[in-house]
Amino acid sequence: MLIEATHLQKFFTLNGGRRVHAVDDVSLGIAEHEVVGLVGESGSGKTTFGKTLIGLYDKSGGEVRYRGEVLPARYTAADFRQQASEIQIIFQDPYGSLNPRMTIFEIIAEGLRLRDHCSLASTRDKVVYWLERVGLSADHLSRYPHEFSGGQRQRVGIARALIVEPKLLVCDEPISALDVSVQAQVVQLLGELQESMGLSLLFIAHDLSMVRHVSDRMAVMYLGSLIELGPTEAVYFRPLHPYTQLLIASKPEPDPAHERQRQDPLIKGEIPSPIDLKPRCRFAGRCPKAEPRCFVERPVLREVQPARLVACHLL
Amino acid sequence: MSLVPSELSSKLSIAVSAADFAPAPHQAQRERIVRPSLSYWQDVWQRLCKNRRALSSLYIVIALLVFTLVGPWLWTQAPALQDLDAISQGPSWSSSSALVVEDPGTWPGVQGALRPREEADGQTLGATASLAVAGLPSTQYVRLYWEAVNGAQHYLIYRNDHAPESNQDLGLPLGATLTPDTLSFEDRLQLRPQTYWYSVIASDGFEEAALSTTAAITLQRAITASQARERGLDDTLGAAVALPAHPFGTDYLGRDLLARVMEGARVSLFIGIVAPLLFVSLGIIYGGIAGYFGGNLDILMMRVVDFVIALPFLLFMILFRIGFGIGPGESGIIPMLLALVLLSWPDTARLIRGQILQIRGEAYVQAARVLGAHPLYLIFRHLVPNTLGPILVTLTFAIPMAIFTEAFLSFIGMGVSPPTSSWGSLSNEGIRTMLSSPHELLFPAFFISLTVLAFNLLGDGLRDALDSRLRSRE
Repeated sequence: MLIEATHLQKFFTLNGGRRVHAVDDVSLGIAEHEVVGLVGESGSGKTTFGKTLIGLYDKSGGEVRYRGEVLPARYTAADFRQQASEIQIIFQDPYGSLNPRMTIFEIIAEGLRLRDHCSLASTRDKVVYWLERVGLSADHLSRYPHEFSGGQRQRVGIARALIVEPKLLVCDEPISALDVSVQAQVVQLLGELQESMGLSLLFIAHDLSMVRHVSDRMAVMYLGSLIELGPTEAVYFRPLHPYTQLLIASKPEPDPAHERQRQDPLIKGEIPSPIDLKPRCRFAGRCPKAEPRCFVERPVLREVQPARLVACHLL
Repeated sequence: MSLVPSELSSKLSIAVSAADFAPAPHQAQRERIVRPSLSYWQDVWQRLCKNRRALSSLYIVIALLVFTLVGPWLWTQAPALQDLDAISQGPSWSSSSALVVEDPGTWPGVQGALRPREEADGQTLGATASLAVAGLPSTQYVRLYWEAVNGAQHYLIYRNDHAPESNQDLGLPLGATLTPDTLSFEDRLQLRPQTYWYSVIASDGFEEAALSTTAAITLQRAITASQARERGLDDTLGAAVALPAHPFGTDYLGRDLLARVMEGARVSLFIGIVAPLLFVSLGIIYGGIAGYFGGNLDILMMRVVDFVIALPFLLFMILFRIGFGIGPGESGIIPMLLALVLLSWPDTARLIRGQILQIRGEAYVQAARVLGAHPLYLIFRHLVPNTLGPILVTLTFAIPMAIFTEAFLSFIGMGVSPPTSSWGSLSNEGIRTMLSSPHELLFPAFFISLTVLAFNLLGDGLRDALDSRLRSRE
């Protein structure tokens, strides 16, 4: 494994000492050149997991190993600097992720400037190379972010992250703020870059079909815990966990005839509050198959079929 | 048949060659739609220039600064020079000329022979046969003399600014001679270059005579030789010297109001600009530290801010001013500056803390952290440039606030101490003579209002120009 989180936890403390279990005991590894898709509803802790994994949030518990070495629980600027050319991230919001006061050149060159003091000419060449590689042109160098569309900004974000040539790229819902037509282009671009650079990707999204399209393995999160992990096709077509089954069944169908025949709201209710959780199955309250045991004991993620891990008492 | 008359077609004929019909070459460059890329500040400037109100306010602010800084070089009258001959003069552009006359008090007067006291009824006293002026009647003095009246014990002198209609309408009683043999009077009471009607009436010590003698006398503007010497003017008697004009008039001590307003502007704008610069910087540093480091430090620092904000502002300004104590010869500017800074920084600190907290969470700051950015790099490259807008707006709104506070404190007498003038203290002096010479209040009050308005409108325009909500994000 290139990077491996074991029992990773991230709690946020609210006023009055209540704890938000944003990520609660998640173990997930990503191999080299592998794309892992991480899906789940809003509020399931996908983004928090991604950011805790790379050190943007301090870890509340558990550890992360990168090539076998334990990464610090609390990052300093020096830790980030050391890690910069290994792990990078691209963000969900293409508007907030670029500094509005900097030109595209300054934004993309930031990683180079922070890493080593290259000459301006070589930096420029590299920036132009990356700008063209993500589908923009050298004309755009002196422009400002507000002159670009969402898709173009996301490309700038990708160029900024990849110019330092990392091994692992965390994609934090990189397409959810984009138009559908642009989503495909950006996913296409990420796929190409992943292949040509031999990147490992943690692809966080809530769009199941997009995740199925890009990832080798799929991980499903619910209320801060990982409930299912397995090869993408297997999880997508033969989900084992009741929640995954409902999630995949509720995916909108492009065929209207099919869509009409579908049964009504499959998952009842909303994702519960992640504050001060009790030791029980996270999904028990909404699970159609819940048993008394599910309300008193928290299931662990275990291998129920070869290469398929599920956290459910029923399997 | 041609559709165009032949003579017209010959006029319209254009040389057309085969080359004109060749297809235009496809040029990729032609299809590029390029407009110059604007940086954030260029964009803000363009928006500000489109806002007429803000732009004219900017011009007014610049004009005020020129007035304050360059004005005293062009208008060289000393603001402290008193001219008691020119008290509370109205605004006038024309400079007047004045005659140099000898100093007052050098006239011995006219003595008459002491006449025996007659037992006569007051009613029988006659009017003086003549009333004349010795020398030139000027605004320095009018020297009256008259002929003795039989039986008069003394004479009463009146002055009026119109021809008296009766003995009841003689006007201002200037005085009385003390002895029956004094037959002259020197009038030096607030003389203006105009015509006065002087009346002399005899008295037997108990009653005034029934008849008076009146003379109309036109005064000329004059300056005494010793005054002329003091001001470095030609002091030969009878010479005409030019007196400076007072475009804004003069105050109750005859000081030139334009020079006073310029001097006051320096104090007002100094406090109005330096105090906000200081307290906004203090607020930026304080709020920046609280926002950047967060946690318990932030909570503690913000409680201090709450405490300072809870203090009653004006009461504490006055207490500070008393606490600092102003010794003789001190202007009181520094204590006021300190008090303003110590009480005004928390608003900026709160604003900046909020801004820093918000920007710290922005994805581009996180991206920079992941790229290994040092905290100082984050602060100067990402946080500061993105908070500059609100800082600038705060500053432009803080300036009129400080000017107004200074003016108010000086107006109630808790600001700068005399002889230092500020617009507030000028207004305070002007309000005493508001009814008789309103210009003394109007000019400083106008400048306070203009400055406060200009800075407020400029701040408004800046806020609109910087507001990202009005700016298209696409």
